[in-house]
Amino acid sequence: MRRLLGALALAVTVLAAVPAVLPAPTSAAAPTAVGTPPERAAADGYRETRTLTRTFTDASGEQRTVASYDVTVSADTTRDLRGRQRVRISWSGAQPSGGRAANPYGENGLNQEYPVVIMQCRGQGEDVRPETCWTSSFSQRSQLLRSDLESVWREDAAADEADKARVSGLDPIPTEQCPTADTNGFSSRLTEFVAANGTVYPACNADTMPPEAAVGAAFPPAEVAAFTDEDGAGSVQFEVRSDVENESLGCNNTVDCSIVVIPIVGISCDRQEGDTASLSERACRRRGQFAPGSSNFANDGIDTAVGPALWWSESNWRHRFEIPISFGLPPDTCDVLDPRPPTGFFGSELLAQAGLQWAPAYCLNKKRFKFQLNITSDAAGFNLMESDQAAAAVVSSEQEQRGEIPVGYAPTAVTGFAIGYIIDRPDNAGEYDSLKLNARLIAKLLTQSYPASDLGRGHPGMADNPISIVNDPEFIRLNPGLSRIDQEAAATVLSLSVSSDVIEQLTAYLAADPEARAFIAGQKDPWGMRVNPAYRDLAVPLDEFPLLDTYVPETQDSCRQANPVVYLSAVAAPVTSLRKISDALLDGQPNVQTRCEFDPPTGTFKIGKIARQSYGARFMLGLVSLGDAARFGLRTAALETRPNRFVAPTPQTMANAVGLMTRSTPRGPFELDQADLRRSSNAYPGTMVVYTASKLFGVDPDTARSVSQFIRVSTTEGQRPGSGNGRLPGGFVPIRNGGPTAKLKKAATEVAALVSAQDTRPPRQGGGDDDGTDDGTDGTGDSDTDTGTTDSGGTDVPGDTDLPAVDAPTDGAVPTETPAPTTDAPAEIDVVSTASTRGAEAGIAGWLLPALLLLGLVAGGAVVLVRFLVAPLRAARTPGSGS
Amino acid sequence: MTLLAPRPAGARPTSPAAAPPTVQVINTGLTMAALIALWLVVQLTVLGSISHDRAQTLLYRDLRVDLSQQTAPLGGPIEPGTPVALLTLPTIGVEEVVVEGTNSGDLRAGPGHRRGTPLPGQVGTSVVYGRAATYGGPFRELPRLAVGDPIVAVSAQGTQTFSVIGLRREGDPLPQPAAAGVARLTLVTAEGSGPFARFTPTETVFVDAEAAEGFGTPSAPTAALPPEAEQAMGTDPEALPALALCLALLLALTLGVVAVRQRLSAVLTWVIASPLVIALAWITTDTAARLLPNLV
Repeated sequence: MRRLLGALALAVTVLAAVPAVLPAPTSAAAPTAVGTPPERAAADGYRETRTLTRTFTDASGEQRTVASYDVTVSADTTRDLRGRQRVRISWSGAQPSGGRAANPYGENGLNQEYPVVIMQCRGQGEDVRPETCWTSSFSQRSQLLRSDLESVWREDAAADEADKARVSGLDPIPTEQCPTADTNGFSSRLTEFVAANGTVYPACNADTMPPEAAVGAAFPPAEVAAFTDEDGAGSVQFEVRSDVENESLGCNNTVDCSIVVIPIVGISCDRQEGDTASLSERACRRRGQFAPGSSNFANDGIDTAVGPALWWSESNWRHRFEIPISFGLPPDTCDVLDPRPPTGFFGSELLAQAGLQWAPAYCLNKKRFKFQLNITSDAAGFNLMESDQAAAAVVSSEQEQRGEIPVGYAPTAVTGFAIGYIIDRPDNAGEYDSLKLNARLIAKLLTQSYPASDLGRGHPGMADNPISIVNDPEFIRLNPGLSRIDQEAAATVLSLSVSSDVIEQLTAYLAADPEARAFIAGQKDPWGMRVNPAYRDLAVPLDEFPLLDTYVPETQDSCRQANPVVYLSAVAAPVTSLRKISDALLDGQPNVQTRCEFDPPTGTFKIGKIARQSYGARFMLGLVSLGDAARFGLRTAALETRPNRFVAPTPQTMANAVGLMTRSTPRGPFELDQADLRRSSNAYPGTMVVYTASKLFGVDPDTARSVSQFIRVSTTEGQRPGSGNGRLPGGFVPIRNGGPTAKLKKAATEVAALVSAQDTRPPRQGGGDDDGTDDGTDGTGDSDTDTGTTDSGGTDVPGDTDLPAVDAPTDGAVPTETPAPTTDAPAEIDVVSTASTRGAEAGIAGWLLPALLLLGLVAGGAVVLVRFLVAPLRAARTPGSGS
Repeated sequence: MTLLAPRPAGARPTSPAAAPPTVQVINTGLTMAALIALWLVVQLTVLGSISHDRAQTLLYRDLRVDLSQQTAPLGGPIEPGTPVALLTLPTIGVEEVVVEGTNSGDLRAGPGHRRGTPLPGQVGTSVVYGRAATYGGPFRELPRLAVGDPIVAVSAQGTQTFSVIGLRREGDPLPQPAAAGVARLTLVTAEGSGPFARFTPTETVFVDAEAAEGFGTPSAPTAALPPEAEQAMGTDPEALPALALCLALLLALTLGVVAVRQRLSAVLTWVIASPLVIALAWITTDTAARLLPNLV
């Protein structure tokens, strides 16, 4: 007992000693004080709230409101749109939809209740009529041979008497084209389409629709009868069409158009004639048979009065929200309006969307040169520049130099690539919007390590691999809840077949990841998947991803026997430009070339592209440029940098990546080391800087002047975000004087001066730097470039050269009168460079728990040792003491 | 725990070996070291978790009453330890009542709202600290939050739903400045690395979340930095006097037990002394834990 008490006393001392072990408080401050920048008004976009009501008039003539909604509709961008650009339209306060279709686009969306009909119409304000609104099928416009039960538009309280006639709409009915329209006992209504050139299409069958509405037209329908969720809100990415895509609709930079949004709340019904309601009167008063949020996959009939087909009927039509939109200049503006010979820049497609907006700012200004961006591979563009066939190259990494003459790389834009995707969640739950990928998954896709279908199952060395990525446990872990139905498109990522710096950076990202590297080297992943033997030990990074597989499946299929192809290469089927990949994603049409069928006209078997994926079951991945992704509203995947750390492309993460870039040679390009990027947790791996590369000696003065002007204008005026001419489109991070991009701006200014000076002789390469920073040495060249830039200006952007890091207010320094026809609000994206987080460390106190546990166990063990080993030993040695 | 096994009343406390005093001292010392170390581990994890759960139950009840009677705090100086908000993180299954104050002692009851910042849901950046490993470790799973995950805070002004905008560790850039009228919430805890990551939280990790429309801030929060004890990984030296008192009591108890043992049998002594020893050991450890960094 005494020992116990002694022990307790000891406990007291030890407890007292505990504080001594603990560290002194470490100095730590959580970041709390974060300044709030002043609010910026969004000039682009649309927002409106209206009250929509549905009324019934009963036999006594009394009007009763049966439903009333305060609907707010907004759109994110409405100015200077380009063909196929997607506008995000969202709404709230509407009646929740019922009987939702798997595919709400075009005529597939007709059998839904309480949808929100969204269409593109020619004209604005008074000029918008149902006749100018585009639909891709006649059944969305016209009602033909309807019985009393279905002709509810004739009960519309808001409609004119003429519209309630048995046959209404287009007058007179063209009986030759539409012989059945006027049939006794049935009601018909023709909502004709009036094309931009005045042609009237009666729209009573597929033959009397405009050519763009032909079955299997080049573009899928854009108009949509969208769902409203059960909380009354909904949103959709609406794709607008310019006259390039749809000539009959005819929207362009001179013809204004609108997006018409009609939340369907039901037809307001006319006075009931008798005491008992007639068939059509009852039909008009129906309020839907599907519960809100329910689906209608079977395409069952609906209550027409609350369906989308009667959007033109007056009580629906007067509920419309008109979102005025304007289109930017078409891509061929410069060729049409400027007869001067173009100065060709050759190279990277990453700059394509910026080039589209920048070009008119040069060719429409007579004091500037005519800029033309030609897309080639980076290496080819560089070669053309070196051999004087191109004024400058547009590249995004250091290129192998053939000649002796020094070349300067001027940073021109910050953008990058992404893995774009379109994935539908199962059960009509909408699109998946948070895809995460790691380097090993991308490596699996690129190395064709998924067998894709039963045809690839016999591939040697891949017996244990999942058929496609949707059944890969690694993918499922990162992206739970997706459909696991294999499809060929899910075994590949649509990529580039040509050499490109994008592929180089993508493969460098794979090479920097130890797991991806080990997988390519032949090591199994934790779930037993192996690399396709044809790609084993592939040396990455490389600038062109090869098709190395040689496996031709053996089948009994006579078509495939007649067309033996390397199956997995046909599944991958890379294409030649990033834009094609974006288009494939927009259309939901993978470029998988495995359809094999008999072609009756030629009597042969042929191989072709598989069909468009159906809505609700789409799964497609593709390599896209961030410019395209922003323009077309494509979703982009977050890529893993550190284990379990996924970084999506945002202005901030891209700016972080720029912050990591370093330059090893003066005038050279900046390099992003993927190893640095893995250490930083918040920088996007696909960030790339596009450079204008030009020779610094021996270029003829005119060309040198143009290139130098391009570098200066594009890094000042061209870095103002916006959709107008000469501005920087989405998907690009502005290069500023402050923040992480400051070094790019400085490098561009240096190189611009060297290009215009043209006196960096090959022997004295080092000397050019000092001349470069001040641009007043060379007489002719410099004065000319200077006028070039200042004249851009009436247009000149005085404030632009001193945009500080935390700016917002300086945006006001950008003059409101801009040269190009635009009145955009300046600067939407502003990346403010912020200080880094200061952490605090617990020091050894953090290890207290394991340390205590260890101490306890060791001491306990020692006690046991002493009691049962040492003590008996002693007992044995001292005889007689035991009993 | 052979130590606690009662012996027959008359038996002499001789070890079988009748060991020399050195061995006995070493043996006793090791026993006590083991006992204390394991007690501390059990207290910080298992018992601490129980006391945290109990504190949460009581705080939840108090907060409910405060909210229903509209007496829940809105701002200004608030007594440390008062429940100020209910924080729900559905993605990681956390529902905790937030108390005012972030020193090591306050955080034993649950996540603490850092004084001097707006309350969760109000305009500005509100900071909430939570323990990662000891006392229930309410914020243990915090680093698993992903961008876009919801965080719901119920406080005197209503329910505010935040959406996570990012995770930061040391060296990462701070989030972009918030727009006007935005409510920010920064959750702070510690995390470890390596094989014992769960039990060795050594580095701070920050989760930023934003709600577009914050509630008004009734009174301007005091801008001054709180004392060091209430900053991240702060320890609370004010616990030292209390600890000294506890240890003195423990010593007194020991002497008391010695005295009692001379009059009563060992069984009886244990029956009387055990609850007291356990209660006092519990209080002592709780006090000593205030000297641990507050996020551990």
